Amino acid sequence: MSEMQTPPRRPKGHRPQVFDDPAIDQLHAAFVALASELSVAFDRIDTLERLLEQRAGVSRVEIDDFHPDERAAADRAIRRADVAERLLRPFRDFREDQLARAERGEQHSPGIAAG
Amino acid sequence: MQAFKQHDMLPESSHDEQARQDFVMAFRGHLSGALMPGAYRVYHQRVEPAFRAARGRAPADQEEVRQVMTQDPYYQFWSAMQRRSQEMLWESVIEPTERQLPELIGRSRKLSKKTLAKGRKGTLRLDPALVVPKYHTAADIHLQPGGYHTDFTADDVAAGVVYDKGINIYMGGALGPENNLTGDTLLAYFREKHPQSRPARILDMGCAIGNCAVPWGRAFPDAELHAIDVGAPVLRYAHARAQALGVPIHFSQQNAEATDFEAGSFDLVVSHIMLHETSKSALVRILKECHRLLRPGALMLHLEIPRGKTVIEKFMHNWESYNNNETFCRYMTNIDLKSEAVKGGFDPAKTRMDEFVPKLDVAQMNYTESFFWNILAAHR
Repeated sequence: MSEMQTPPRRPKGHRPQVFDDPAIDQLHAAFVALASELSVAFDRIDTLERLLEQRAGVSRVEIDDFHPDERAAADRAIRRADVAERLLRPFRDFREDQLARAERGEQHSPGIAAG
Repeated sequence: MQAFKQHDMLPESSHDEQARQDFVMAFRGHLSGALMPGAYRVYHQRVEPAFRAARGRAPADQEEVRQVMTQDPYYQFWSAMQRRSQEMLWESVIEPTERQLPELIGRSRKLSKKTLAKGRKGTLRLDPALVVPKYHTAADIHLQPGGYHTDFTADDVAAGVVYDKGINIYMGGALGPENNLTGDTLLAYFREKHPQSRPARILDMGCAIGNCAVPWGRAFPDAELHAIDVGAPVLRYAHARAQALGVPIHFSQQNAEATDFEAGSFDLVVSHIMLHETSKSALVRILKECHRLLRPGALMLHLEIPRGKTVIEKFMHNWESYNNNETFCRYMTNIDLKSEAVKGGFDPAKTRMDEFVPKLDVAQMNYTESFFWNILAAHR
C-alpha cells in the first residue's frame, strides 16, 4: 500500500429506500446537495462583499484565505438558519395541513391493513 | 456552545469546504430541532389514531410502529433528509482530509516521537494479524466510508481525521471542543458515585480516536491509561492526537472480546457508546473480558445511548439501525445489559443500570423527546 488510494465516498452497507418510487429518494438527495451548494455560494458571496467593502480588487487567493471574524460568523449563522427555514417550510406546512385534517376527523391511514 | 478546537492533527478547510461543513451542521440542527419533533406529533395525532381506528388497539411494539410510520409522508421526508445529511456530513470532511493527507501522516509520525510533560510519552502498538470483526466489516458504521478500520495508504490516519471532524458535525457541536462530552459524562458519573477513588490503571475499550480517553487522562494524570480499538487508522490518529493534546495514552490494536492484558490488572474498565456497535455474542464476550481484566473490587462502566421507553421512541431511536448502519441497535432495544453482565460473570448484587442526565443541549439531539444516558456499572 505505498500508493495513495482515493478514499471512497460511498459507504458499504444497505441503502434504504424511503419512497415507493426510488426516483423520489434521488430527488430528495439531490435537493439537499443543491441546498448545500447554494449555501456555499451564499457564504462565498458574503466573503466577497466583505472583502470588497474593505478594498477594491479582490484575488482568489485572498478569498481562500478568508476566515470570518466573530461578527461575520454570527451573521452567517443567522442566514444559514433562514435558508433551512425557507427550504423546509413547505414540508412543515404540509404536516400542519395533515394534522388539521386529522383533527377534523378526516381519514388518513397510510399502510394500515384492516383487521 | 464552545467552538471546536483546532489541534495539530486536524486539516485546514478551504473557504468552500468550511461552508459545506457549516451548512450540513446547520441543516442537521434544523432536521433534529425543528423537523424530527414533528414526527412525534404526527405519530400521536395522526398515525396512532388511524392505527387504533383500523385495528381497535394501539401498536404493540416498534415493529408495528415501523409498518405505519414508514408509510407516512412526513416521516418519509424527514428520514430521506436525515439519511442524506449523514452522507453529506462525511463528504464535507473527506475532501479536506484527502487533500492534506500526506502532510497529516507526516505530522502524525513526528508527534509519535514527541516527549510530553514529566518525560512521559504515549505509545502505539498495532497488530496487522488482528481479524477485524464482522460487525465492523459488513457495513460502514454511521455511513463513514471505509469505516474505522480501512487503510487506503501506508500509515493511514484518514479514518481518524474524518471521524474527529465528522462526529463534531454529527452531534451539532454538542460533543464539545475536543469531542469530549461522552468521556466527560462518564467521568462525571464516576466522580459523583466514587468521589474518593483514584484508579491507577485504566482501560478504555473501543476508543476510536481516543476522544473519550483524553478526559480520563486529564482527570487522572498519574494513572496508566490504556485504550484499545480494532481499527488501525483510527488508532494511529488517536495516538498522534493524544500526543498533540499532551495526554500520555497507551493505544493498542485489540479486540475487546479477547485482549492480551493480564487478568486482574485494571482498577477501572470503561467504554463510551461502544457496546451497541458490536453483536449479540460479542457483547457477552466483551463483558466476560471486562470481568477477567478487573482486579477484585474494581469497577466496570459502560456508557450507552438509551433505546427509548415508548414504542414510538424505540422506533425513532432505531432509525439509526435501519438507515445509518448501526446494525446491532435494533437488537439492543430488547437486551437487558444487567443480565448480560451477569452472563459475563458479574454478581447481580454488584451490578446496576443507571440513568444519568448529561449537561447537553437537548435541541441538538436526534430521535428523542427527552434525553439521558444509560450506564452499566459493575464491581468485580
